Amino acid sequence: MRKLCGVLMLIIAAVLLAQADIPIKVTLTMMVAGDQNMVDFFQYEIAPEFEKLYPNVKVKVVGTGPGDAGSQQIIQQLQLEKDSGKDRWAIDLVVIHEAGAIWAIERGLIRQYTDFLTARRLVTMKTAEVALGINVNGYVMPMFHSQTAIAYNPRFVKNPPKSYAELVEWVKENPKKFGYNGIKGGMSGVSFVFGWVYWKSKNPDVLMNGPFDEKYMEDWPQIYAELKEFNKYVTLTSGNAGTLDALNRGEIWMGPVWVDMFYTWIREGRMDPNIRLILPEPGMPGQPMYFAIPTKAANADYALKMIEFVSSPAVHAKYIVDRFNWYPAIGIEYVSPYLSKEVFDRLYRDIKEEDLLKFGKRMPIADYRTRMLEAYEKWVEK
Amino acid sequence: MRRKKELMVGFLLILPALVVLVALYVYPLALSVYMSFVAQGRFSLANYLKVFEIYWRDIIYSVVISLVATAVTLGLSIGVSGYLRFKSWKFLEIMYKLPLFIPFLIVGHAMRVFLAPHGTLNNLLTRILRIEELPGLSRSWIGLVWAFVWVMTPYAALIVFGAFRSLDNAYIEAAQNLGASRWKIVFDVLIPMCRPSIMVAFILTFVRTISSLTIPIMVGPASPNMITVNMMFRVNYFNDWGTANALGVISYLIVMVFAIYYLKFMAAERGGIKA
Repeated sequence: MRKLCGVLMLIIAAVLLAQADIPIKVTLTMMVAGDQNMVDFFQYEIAPEFEKLYPNVKVKVVGTGPGDAGSQQIIQQLQLEKDSGKDRWAIDLVVIHEAGAIWAIERGLIRQYTDFLTARRLVTMKTAEVALGINVNGYVMPMFHSQTAIAYNPRFVKNPPKSYAELVEWVKENPKKFGYNGIKGGMSGVSFVFGWVYWKSKNPDVLMNGPFDEKYMEDWPQIYAELKEFNKYVTLTSGNAGTLDALNRGEIWMGPVWVDMFYTWIREGRMDPNIRLILPEPGMPGQPMYFAIPTKAANADYALKMIEFVSSPAVHAKYIVDRFNWYPAIGIEYVSPYLSKEVFDRLYRDIKEEDLLKFGKRMPIADYRTRMLEAYEKWVEK
Repeated sequence: MRRKKELMVGFLLILPALVVLVALYVYPLALSVYMSFVAQGRFSLANYLKVFEIYWRDIIYSVVISLVATAVTLGLSIGVSGYLRFKSWKFLEIMYKLPLFIPFLIVGHAMRVFLAPHGTLNNLLTRILRIEELPGLSRSWIGLVWAFVWVMTPYAALIVFGAFRSLDNAYIEAAQNLGASRWKIVFDVLIPMCRPSIMVAFILTFVRTISSLTIPIMVGPASPNMITVNMMFRVNYFNDWGTANALGVISYLIVMVFAIYYLKFMAAERGGIKA
């Protein structure tokens, strides 16, 4: 009898245990392209918070470096996973550039997941649907938006040019006081050049959205010849940071910069806080970073939770906007209730949400992008 | 039979070194030469055509900048070594080695700030000496050469000074007894007798200069660029390894010209390399 009782008790205990939700230990491995600040963002800010929320999860962050080269490394890694033929890939979540997203989709390395994502509905920019002219809808969720703009020092520039056309006049009156970093020293210069081509081109929309056809490049020699002429009146700086340095030292009075970098420098006391921004007509390109989930990620469920977590308005407000000065990936109207007035005014002091929607352009589609850069090398640098 | 065995043992002994050499040097080199001939998955000269279409000026520029920087570096290091050969000056001996311990990246940034139009140098000149501001050197070829000379001189000087010091005093004393001045001794005795070491310094400096990336990116002008900057650009922006490798092969060839000259020179000088 006692024996039977014992067995019964054991069975009941087993059944009860089976019902309980025993968390399984999970390591969420993510690969992140982008500058060190992106890796720091996940490693030191997001991972601890996320691990608090899900104590069974350990977040492992691997950085692959800035620019498309960083995305390229991630793609190579995913391709290796695919080629291995395994059912569970070691990488659960990736953060990649637009070009990276396209490469990944072409090779079947990432899956469609955004239907399961609540935060996807809060996205107001088009970047969640189209990247460099390719449909990426469903595959990616933007993490934030970076925008380039022209920074100017109001001490010297009382009435900043509001468009590329006015800028051309301005540099003639103030030679060498506008500076940008060409195309080899970082994307703020590249973005300025793309903006220039958009401004002069007869078909800017084709350049941004496709289709690719060389006939839309007919007017380029003239466009670049004018850019070469423009360059005679400007200073060429060394890199994104070089432009900010030169602005800060007063060597140049205006120059294109990444908005997040600019505000971060100001907050860290490395930049004169009086310097302001303007997004000139007809606009300059910006770009998002994307969250994507590899096709056979072992812990896709937690990857989704992570994306949901970072994309939530409260976390967006605290980290994306306040801490890192990026423009939110979701509509600012959802984020602003969580922002103090001071923080909101800091980011939107000079460039308003409507300016972003109107003048925040896309990067050109991949084929034009390559040719625009080569055209610059051929026609402007020589 | 015994001879064969000895050969076998000898071969086995050098095998580890050979494997390392092949794996780390020969294989990547061969691969990069091969890749430079592949464009869009096909064997072609397209990469080289692109290089000559877009970058021919940059190649000449790289060689000229490297030669100028190397010449100035050698001049300085011979000056410093010649001086130290006759006079002991501890301060100079420590100072000239200082840049040895500073990474290129730091040098690049330091030079960028130091030579900028409103940088440290100009601030000093205008505020202390009250002279007119110089144009910024940091984004020009002069600034680039300046930065290269600054980082390369200690290496070259170490080699040259070592050679000068190891030269028998008897030669110098003999020249002094005949009434030669110090500079005459440097030019007529030290330099000719230490020519192999100076050649080594020349080639090492040249190769290190032409293959440097950080300093041209941070200090050099936006255009023209050094070959390395263009290689980085092809890879990072276009994912175009073919053209980058073609540029690489061209820089091997440039370096090889000097290497061959050096080997020949050594052979003539010492009756064969093995000496």
